[in-house]
Amino acid sequence: MPTERDFQISPVVQDSVVHNSRTLINLQSLTASLFGVGAGILGLESYYGFLFYIICSVLTTLLFYVVRVAPTSIPSGKAAFDTSRYYRSPYEFWTGGLLNGLAGFILTWTLFYGLVRA
Amino acid sequence: MTWISKSITVFGGLLLAHACYSAQEHSALQSLRASTAALTSPSPAVATLPIDIAVETVVATLVILLGLVLNTRPLRPIQWRVWAGKVEREGEEGFIDSSGEVSRDYIGNPFRFLETRPGFIDIRKQRKEFADWVKNGGERLGASAGAGAQ
Repeated sequence: MPTERDFQISPVVQDSVVHNSRTLINLQSLTASLFGVGAGILGLESYYGFLFYIICSVLTTLLFYVVRVAPTSIPSGKAAFDTSRYYRSPYEFWTGGLLNGLAGFILTWTLFYGLVRA
Repeated sequence: MTWISKSITVFGGLLLAHACYSAQEHSALQSLRASTAALTSPSPAVATLPIDIAVETVVATLVILLGLVLNTRPLRPIQWRVWAGKVEREGEEGFIDSSGEVSRDYIGNPFRFLETRPGFIDIRKQRKEFADWVKNGGERLGASAGAGAQ
């Protein structure tokens, strides 16, 4: 856990923190609605829908890591799956998307389920 | 680069729309068949989705996902020294959006106040010129100003 002293020794750019987390949240809320459309078309019900959402959300984060984080993070000496170059906490990166997009997912899931099975 | 991700997203959207329409038609057909054949078969089959529509839906979702991820903006390092080094090395080229323009909240070199400081002035020479000017009673103002400009 970094202390106040660590932040004074190696300061953090707040603008970049805001920019990075906003990029990730935008992607996650957008893709959550998309997964809702997919789950509604497939006609998933109860736990299978949430399982679909969890799998797809983890896949999104992995793909985002591979496309945006890994190409510059790994050459700069970070280990694989280490996001400390761009995000302050790994929990924010890896699991933050599950709650960010859940409402949008359920909204479009129910909508498209109702539309397709009219 | 941006047109690749945009076209991938649009292609996935077309696939998804097609899958959605197919699923809707399939369910309408199923309900029609169930209503006409309700008397002959007492337990109508549950309307499971055909495998090709399911596959198309999943593929379309993944294709759109790929397009959206490729369309995200590049990240910025959060540690000050890494970020400032990137600014120093790459300048504006390091902060180009996915749309190909320099992003609006790009503030530029954080050390630019060090690079635009005024040049040094020779204070001893100016003091000597002022002393000469005072000694001459301030008469040769234009001449000493000309000497100061040299």
